[in-house]
Amino acid sequence: MAVEIEFDSSWLDGFFQKIEDDGPWGNWDLYKLAIEVEKHTVIEDFEGLQAPKHLPNLTPLPHQIEVAKQVIENMNGKAILADEVGLGKTIEAGLILKEYMIRGLVKKVLILVPASLVSQWASELTSKFYIPAVAQKKSYVWEQCDVVVSSIDTAKRNPHRDIIFGLDYDLIIIDEAHKLKNNKTKNYEFVQSLKKKFCLLLTATPIQNRISEIFNLVSLLKPGHLGNETVFYEKYKRDSRSLNDDQHLKELVNKVMIRNRRADTGIEWTERHVETIPIQFSAGEKALYDAVSELRSEDNWMATSAFSVMTLQREACSSREAVFITLKNMLNKKEEPSPYFQAQIESLIEKVQAVQMNSKAEKALELIKKINDKVIIFTEYRATQLYLQWFLKQNGITSVPFRGGFKRGKKDWMRELFQKHAQVLIATEAGGEGINLQFCHHIINFDLPWNPMRLEQRIGRVHRLGQEQDVHIYNFATKDTVEEHVLKLLHEKIALFEKVIGDLDDILTKLEFGNFEDYLVDIFGHSTSEGEMRIKMDNLNSMIQLAEEIKESESSAAAGNSSIS
Amino acid sequence: MQQQEIHQFLENYFQANGCEIVENEKGYMTVQLTIELDKELMNRPFYWHYLEKTGGIPNPMKLTFITDQNASPEDIKGEVIHFGSPRLHQIFESTKNLAGYIRLYEKQSLSYGQQAALRPWLGMNLKISYQCDRKRDVFKSIGLQLINGQVVENFHERLLELQLTPKIPDYSFTLSPLIMPKSGVMRIENQLRNEIEVEDHTWAIEARERWQKDLQLLEHFYEEAEEKGESYENEKKALQEQYEPKVKITIVNGGLFYLTEQAV
Repeated sequence: MAVEIEFDSSWLDGFFQKIEDDGPWGNWDLYKLAIEVEKHTVIEDFEGLQAPKHLPNLTPLPHQIEVAKQVIENMNGKAILADEVGLGKTIEAGLILKEYMIRGLVKKVLILVPASLVSQWASELTSKFYIPAVAQKKSYVWEQCDVVVSSIDTAKRNPHRDIIFGLDYDLIIIDEAHKLKNNKTKNYEFVQSLKKKFCLLLTATPIQNRISEIFNLVSLLKPGHLGNETVFYEKYKRDSRSLNDDQHLKELVNKVMIRNRRADTGIEWTERHVETIPIQFSAGEKALYDAVSELRSEDNWMATSAFSVMTLQREACSSREAVFITLKNMLNKKEEPSPYFQAQIESLIEKVQAVQMNSKAEKALELIKKINDKVIIFTEYRATQLYLQWFLKQNGITSVPFRGGFKRGKKDWMRELFQKHAQVLIATEAGGEGINLQFCHHIINFDLPWNPMRLEQRIGRVHRLGQEQDVHIYNFATKDTVEEHVLKLLHEKIALFEKVIGDLDDILTKLEFGNFEDYLVDIFGHSTSEGEMRIKMDNLNSMIQLAEEIKESESSAAAGNSSIS
Repeated sequence: MQQQEIHQFLENYFQANGCEIVENEKGYMTVQLTIELDKELMNRPFYWHYLEKTGGIPNPMKLTFITDQNASPEDIKGEVIHFGSPRLHQIFESTKNLAGYIRLYEKQSLSYGQQAALRPWLGMNLKISYQCDRKRDVFKSIGLQLINGQVVENFHERLLELQLTPKIPDYSFTLSPLIMPKSGVMRIENQLRNEIEVEDHTWAIEARERWQKDLQLLEHFYEEAEEKGESYENEKKALQEQYEPKVKITIVNGGLFYLTEQAV
């Protein structure tokens, strides 16, 4: 069996030159050191991971190490990493990349991630993995830097596109790869045309996708693994709902995909304690809420925007400041407001001014004092955030604000302030991934986002790997308002708060009726009577239940089928 | 490499390069770089260029390395060095760079009036990498006597037991080689090739099988396409790069050694 043997001759030329010139020769001590170095960096086995030895500040979890080993030793470096949310796919990808770099199998790397995550990926690879990853900003970066992080949308456009197509990549990593499910898109074509030796596709939601999406994803990774298009669709129904319809197909897919479920990892998750705190409006607040709600019967309001009425209602449940800002903006935005409109706004503003206190804030204060520990308050509104900060300060409680728009450095700084000096963090957004708030285990949802995923992200900041204590979640809901309805739906029907991240993800994908939030706006905004609203709510409930049933039957079928090699 | 070995290594590296070690305590050390080493490690060509143009007083940097965060005092500021740190690997590379070629003579105690004949040896340290979609390495040190063609394995270990100096010692003389260094290198290369060829290459056979399998899948995928197009070619080439088994021999360093007859 002939194996090609390459003998590196670059050293020889230097050697003959030195002989001819009679030197200069190296130093014996250094010469000995160089050999010592080489002996330390030589890797004598094909198997086994070197990377953990090189990463003293990172302790990968057992399932993450296992994934890295599987991908390198059994999947030949081409894999879909599909762990449930929150199990550390980034760490797994980093480990694999590091291993290949240490072994000298990978040099040139392209990492394509959503635009919002570019700098985070770059900084995590640099700080956690000591991989000099560069966030692409200038076009020379493609050629000059070995490890480049970029968004697909940037990369696929010229001049970048042409440069990238001219390069041979050893490894390509694509985050949020489920976005490449459609093979007719420009993004798909772009990725397909890249030259790649090894490839990792990261996604949290592959399984419940349509079968055609799986086909496209796998064909990107390993063309032909699932056969060609015609044969594949002859064999499997194009619209088949899930992979579980066919055992053989599932096995094939599992050869290129690793999916760890939370339950398989053996990691102990702490409990969530959810408490609904009912809030009673004061007279002034009630008057404001009612006045805003009455707008729904006004034709000109409903016609223009059910959405802004809903917004005002929700804001009235949060703080008068939030309502005020929105009212002012509404007035400013109209180019020539009719006197009637103007009067209406003004009367509402009067109602705002008549509100004397914030019942929720009072309750929050009471609760914070009782908890006597770190607390995160989430609100949807900047105005409420500012008010709360002022209000808590008046009452001798230290707090720091947190917004998604903060720059990375400021986020870290605020987190540090919260950990070391303040009792309360008031956040308007889950604040981007990677901000680690595990030292806190009390969350107050001052008001509720209508998108369950955002709610989940809020909780996920705290209830994640590494949280050692039970997490307490307090949901504020004002009686007899939309808020109460929404909370009921989220809490009692979806049992949202008890679920851990991945489940919700699965259920929402199954529902497939599009944007959950829009659905709620429709229910609460367009229903003309209590009765209609109830019917629509019941309708939604049964859809959710159906989705859950599908999921349950799937997971019982998929039991013991987590990471098949 | 353990943290202590790293500490020792750094010490040796900087001493071998003539740097003053200002402080050397448990868990950390501070080094005054020489001008040469500042240029080698600090990557500031503009500063040096400016200095040379203006004739200013050179001020090479002082560096502090922390090799054990637990043992070093808390107020010490410096670079934390561990096996994976880029700085350590830069120094590794620099070590190899600065010591690629060598020529040494064996020194021995001679009684009065005695003269010593030193025989020329070619010494080479090599890394053999077996590479497909995975990789393993083997380190080898080989010596070739340039008069009689004798080949010795673990040559470097033997050298470590001798007293070697860069200058030819008094009352010693070198014998002329019959084999020129160039053909010496070729002899070593050929011997390695012969050895490798008869090794067990199951790893390569398996890699070829994996390659073949993926290649078949690829053909199947494009079976019905009239025009297979560029992405087919790309994928095909990528599979070759991924799987094709290869053995790469790289030379770490090496040189000429003049040794007494008893030495090897």
